[in-house]
Amino acid sequence: MSGGRRSPLAGTFTLVGLVFLWAPLALMALFSLHATASLSFPFEGFSTRWYAQVLDSPEVRSAARNSLIVASATAVGTLVLGTLAAYGLTRSRSRLRGPLTLLFFLPITLPGLFLGVAMLVGFRRAGLSLSLLTVTIAHLVYVFPFFFMVARAALARLDPALEEMAMDLGADRFTTFRRVTLPQVWPVLVGAACLAFALSFDEFVITFFVIGPDSTLPLYVWSSLRRTIDPSINAISTLLLLFTTLLFAITVLLASWGERRRKGRTAEAPLGLVPAAVERAG
Amino acid sequence: MTARLRGGPLVLATPAAAGLLLFFVAPLAAFGVYSFLTGALYEVKPPFTLGNYEDVFAGNLNGKLARNSLVVGLLSATVCVAAALPMAYWLRYASGRRRTVALFLIVASFLASYLVRIYAWRSILGENGVINRALEGVGVISEPLGFLLYNRFAVTIALVHIFLSYVVLVLYAALAPLQASYLEVAQDLGAGRLQRWRRVVLPLVAAPALSAFLFVFVLSASDYVTPQFLGGTNGALLGLEVQVSFIGTGDYAYGAAIAFCMLASFVVCYALIALGLRLTRLDKVRFAT
Repeated sequence: MSGGRRSPLAGTFTLVGLVFLWAPLALMALFSLHATASLSFPFEGFSTRWYAQVLDSPEVRSAARNSLIVASATAVGTLVLGTLAAYGLTRSRSRLRGPLTLLFFLPITLPGLFLGVAMLVGFRRAGLSLSLLTVTIAHLVYVFPFFFMVARAALARLDPALEEMAMDLGADRFTTFRRVTLPQVWPVLVGAACLAFALSFDEFVITFFVIGPDSTLPLYVWSSLRRTIDPSINAISTLLLLFTTLLFAITVLLASWGERRRKGRTAEAPLGLVPAAVERAG
Repeated sequence: MTARLRGGPLVLATPAAAGLLLFFVAPLAAFGVYSFLTGALYEVKPPFTLGNYEDVFAGNLNGKLARNSLVVGLLSATVCVAAALPMAYWLRYASGRRRTVALFLIVASFLASYLVRIYAWRSILGENGVINRALEGVGVISEPLGFLLYNRFAVTIALVHIFLSYVVLVLYAALAPLQASYLEVAQDLGAGRLQRWRRVVLPLVAAPALSAFLFVFVLSASDYVTPQFLGGTNGALLGLEVQVSFIGTGDYAYGAAIAFCMLASFVVCYALIALGLRLTRLDKVRFAT
């Protein structure tokens, strides 16, 4: 690497920052294995009773099922709509490109609170009763810009000559997309869909307003937080953390695999997937 | 062949565009109209009025909440950017494996659940929490310290925890074009450590750092969940008032008016920052890659 620019001070700062980020999460994971309900040291023994309690609870199960349904529908929906939109915009030279790109970015600029209440008003006006369907629609709007940015960047990087050649050889647009474009970008697109899944799975701020009588895991955690200190939240939280980390690891692996296939070298691009997305968000 | 390339593919973007117009733009417009209508319980009625906006500025409570939002927003955004800058700088020049590990930890914590973090901080700062129990255990205190939780400090620390990794990632991406050679050249030309930061590093990160600052400020100031669990009565923020209007009291028109006042002030902040960047000519800084 570019030597001689390492700063020990910045290194210490980074270490402190990482401890600050992970210590609360690590403490929570530790107390999820505590035999008693207290949040104190010394430890009074290990136990998996909180995990058993969580996994046995019918409320948690139905909330988890709802979360999985909504997040899967959101991920698949964004994958289809977002890929179509990103492909259409990168391959078109129409003057509508600018305004459409702005429209596709816009939801990210609005804090969740406003998105949530505006959609609540919109659904009421439209006469749609609140359900998992309205939650999915809201999540689609919320995650769309994230997916779109990643997909657009991936599609714009491709060498246009390959597609032109395929079309010159007589392939129609759909065949070209399926046989030439998709094999080059699908790992990135699936990775971005995983990101969409993770964002939807954890979404609370918007969901709270548009959910109606159903529950999702974040909603369940929220209602337990309101009740009292319930040690089983430690267990749910740890499970959620493991789940999102796993999902992220899959995303990284897919993206890095895709990148290697495309470029034939190991790039740091996969880890850059999320930074690139958030950079454009800001 | 060129005729087929032009305009045609844009049709593929129509489902997404129609969806966003229907479920994003239209609700937002309806929401705007609501703020000028007369509120009834979970309903709005026709006579157009400015009364909702008058109500927003009439009470003392909103003034206090707005001040809290401003303080918490500015504080979280400042701490996030100030702490993220050295972290991003370190990441930029760290050697391969260390950087990969650090980056993975930062991105994974970026994805950690929002509610889980709030819960974690409540169990750390609470009266029966980790800090109080530890201090009691050692014998430093006999009564739990009540001032740790339910104030603006607790809200700020949780918000910093929520947004820090995001800001690190933004600044890390911003520093990517900064070749070590630029700094070496500056050094050879006689620039000291401070001057190198001011003349080489800062211009490069100014625009992204300010946009990240604004992002954290807006999301912190409008947050309603963190203050609900960590803020108590002293640390309540304006977002809570919007939430209560829509879910608790059912006064949609009033809630919409507060929300639009907040949005308007965010737009003003955005314009000020954009203007500041343009005046200092930092908005067009580009380094060759």
